[in-house]
Amino acid sequence: MKFLNDKGITQMTNIPDIEKLDRNKDLDYYKDIFYQCGKCGTCRNAFHENGWPRVCPSGEFGKFEAYYLGGKNLLTWAVSSDRLKWTKNLANIFYQCSVCLACAQQCQIPEIHYYAGEWLMAMREKAVQKGLGPMPEQKKYSEHVGLEYNPYMEKHENRANWVPSHIKQSQDAKLAYFVGCTTSYREQDIAINTAEILNSLQVDFKILKDEHCCGSPVYMTGQTEQAKMIAKTNLDIFKNEGIEKIITSCAGCYRMLKETYPKKFELEHGIEVLHLPEFILEKLNSSEVKFENNLNMKITYHDPCHIGRHMGIYEPPREVLKNIPGIELIEMPRNKQNAWCCGSGGGVRSAFKELSSFAANERIEEAKETTAEALVSCCPFCLNQFKTNIKDDSIKTYDLSELINKTIKR
Amino acid sequence: MNNSSIVAELSNIVGDRYVSDEPEIQFLYHYDFITAEPEGKCDVVIMPGTAEEVQEIVKFANNHKIPVVPWVSGINFGSIATPRKGGIVVDLRRMNRVVEVNEDDMYAVVEGGITWADFVGYLNKHHPNFRTGVTFSPPGTGVVPSCLAYGMWDLGMIGGTGAEFTNGLEVVLGSGELVRVGSCSMSNKWYGRQPLPDLAGLFIGWEGTTGIVTKASIKIWPRLPYREDIVILAQTVDQGVLLLLKLAKAGLGIVDIIFVNMGWCQGMQGFNEKSVAINPVELGIPDFVGLVTTQAYTEGQNKAQCEAMEEICNEFNIKPQTAKSFLESFPSNMRGAFVDIFPGFGGYTPVQAWGCWNFSRGGGGEWIGSYCSTSDIARYYNIAREITLKYDKPPQFYSRIMFGGHYCVARANICFNKNDPEDIKKARKILKEIFDAVHELDGVIMYKPPLWVVEHHKNKTLPTTNELIKKVKKLLDPNNIMNPGQGIEGD
Repeated sequence: MKFLNDKGITQMTNIPDIEKLDRNKDLDYYKDIFYQCGKCGTCRNAFHENGWPRVCPSGEFGKFEAYYLGGKNLLTWAVSSDRLKWTKNLANIFYQCSVCLACAQQCQIPEIHYYAGEWLMAMREKAVQKGLGPMPEQKKYSEHVGLEYNPYMEKHENRANWVPSHIKQSQDAKLAYFVGCTTSYREQDIAINTAEILNSLQVDFKILKDEHCCGSPVYMTGQTEQAKMIAKTNLDIFKNEGIEKIITSCAGCYRMLKETYPKKFELEHGIEVLHLPEFILEKLNSSEVKFENNLNMKITYHDPCHIGRHMGIYEPPREVLKNIPGIELIEMPRNKQNAWCCGSGGGVRSAFKELSSFAANERIEEAKETTAEALVSCCPFCLNQFKTNIKDDSIKTYDLSELINKTIKR
Repeated sequence: MNNSSIVAELSNIVGDRYVSDEPEIQFLYHYDFITAEPEGKCDVVIMPGTAEEVQEIVKFANNHKIPVVPWVSGINFGSIATPRKGGIVVDLRRMNRVVEVNEDDMYAVVEGGITWADFVGYLNKHHPNFRTGVTFSPPGTGVVPSCLAYGMWDLGMIGGTGAEFTNGLEVVLGSGELVRVGSCSMSNKWYGRQPLPDLAGLFIGWEGTTGIVTKASIKIWPRLPYREDIVILAQTVDQGVLLLLKLAKAGLGIVDIIFVNMGWCQGMQGFNEKSVAINPVELGIPDFVGLVTTQAYTEGQNKAQCEAMEEICNEFNIKPQTAKSFLESFPSNMRGAFVDIFPGFGGYTPVQAWGCWNFSRGGGGEWIGSYCSTSDIARYYNIAREITLKYDKPPQFYSRIMFGGHYCVARANICFNKNDPEDIKKARKILKEIFDAVHELDGVIMYKPPLWVVEHHKNKTLPTTNELIKKVKKLLDPNNIMNPGQGIEGD
């Protein structure tokens, strides 16, 4: 077995001497690990999968070694040991990456495999401390998050405009549907579908009166302190509204609320956080929901990085899909741990548009090759990325919430 | 010319995005990030996409007498792709396609920058009944440089080194001319080097100092339905080697024979050298782990091979076991990279066998790796072992019996902390001492030799041969721009 059935990238199990370190630490903490890299290139291909497909959008686009994990490991060593100076260009290299962690997944040096994601983020933090990060576009949206609590240059007062009148909420509910910025402003159908699903299941829920950005676009671009402030504000909001459980339809929000708030920011909140497919799977397993309508569709599923490699959620969306009558799931060659990133995360879509489109188009072509009619994901950012980049009607794209809603809607 | 002018000129050949003189990009070409060899200097790096672009680059460099260093992954345990005189590094990674696979004559024509992962991946996907030999180097390293530098792989018993599996080459010479050698020089078939003058030798073993190989034809091999991986344990290397050599010469359809000592085995398992006994022999732990791989077309043939091997092992009072049962006898957290080597265990090569450069968890490893007579393997090992133990390091050793037992490879490895200058110094000292001692054995010739070994080779080589080498080099690379400072004619 290559990987433990655990959350996100997991410790390897076949190695006797693995150094036990903590995650979420600063650069200095990992200073004796990253130079163990020999720049051997294992990080470029899906380890032991048929055809050894390439996995790193940043490297495949940038081509130079610096854009692969091996290069980044050794550049991290170089600046940490004064072999190289911090420059704008160095920061640029580290930001030209969606931190999808497909590279770390492949590396078989156990400590690099497990902790590389930490120093990829720590390098961004350091770039911010040095005044070399974030990238200008990321800085602009981050400032807007400070003003209007979303990175889309939208007004905060319009955040809940998507809520249709037929959605029933319970203001006493202890369960909140955390909608997120992309869903609230760009992919409102996901929000409507999710809310309708919750209504169909007769779940008592509410949408927060004053929902703010979860902080993911700020955190992922190295602005840890600002992101932590956002997290604190959100936790105050949750507390004031008496929230004990959160469902979210966004992969990025899920990762932030469930992992980053308590583990990185050390803000223990005790709130149960579920991604929509996890919640639906619970309901399926307890027979509280039945999928009835036949959707008669051949689909392929794209694993969003923030719930996949970052959080280890691969099976719940697939289980949900398998339960939908008429759905035939065809896997893409690169799936689950080895999924190719859609190219929108980590601030890439705002700052490195060419790389972002390259990654998206690669994934769309891979989806088409399966002969599926539709590319399904469960992240509004992935969906928006696919919608933007699918230029013809050769393949459709859906969020899983839409399919769930269709199959249960009477 | 300054770097910016060079970049401007080269951009005209390949476009802006594939040329760089930025320090952050250059840094990754200054070193072989595994060895203890000193850093070099890359001034400009360029990534061509075609042989024609390579020609243009070399012509430009030739006009301006700028050094050119062919490069694929830059790691080779000898630092032979580290630019010693500055200049332009020609990173061939964009030339990573399989151009043709000929199943009839069993060869694949590949571009010069293809990696093991890409090559193996392509064959597995599109020609599953065929395989290439695969080295134990990591997936991201280059196929063609490995063949050109006498790298060896897991079909070594059948056909020798990668060089011997090479049918023909397409090469850009130091002058910028494009030549082909082998049957491909006069036909579209790349089946071999016979019966023409064997000009492939002008580029094999020269460490990129005579030209840049843009295409190579590599022999592939049928993937037969039956395979057996047999592990043979012996108390000492002396005892085990005798057994392996007998097996090698028994005509049993063996495709690969290697052995490692316990130190190497522990590295492969993923141990930290600090947590294992430095001298396991003293504790009565077997020091010899042999691995023999056979292939067969029928079950009966496979059975007969195994029975014959068992019979020979019995003569040495050794009981062979399958790799699967060997591995299953280990706790699951001690199987390390072995699980990725044996198909019977769900793995296949190439693998990231990092235990040979990260046994000390310092990211550094270098070996004295040589071709030598099979009669000297055990002596080579014992010499290297004693020296290594003297410096309180666990000996790591690896050997492969080649081409039916005609010769062998012997490698003594030292791991070190590449972030610690003192440890690097110590590693260099040990390596030098091992080299000096094993080279007293007649016929020991180091491959992928770092600079300091090249000088030694020159001194040992017949003067008339040295002269011939000099003349050939001058003919192919008149301005000495190809990887200067490296290779047998390196200054």
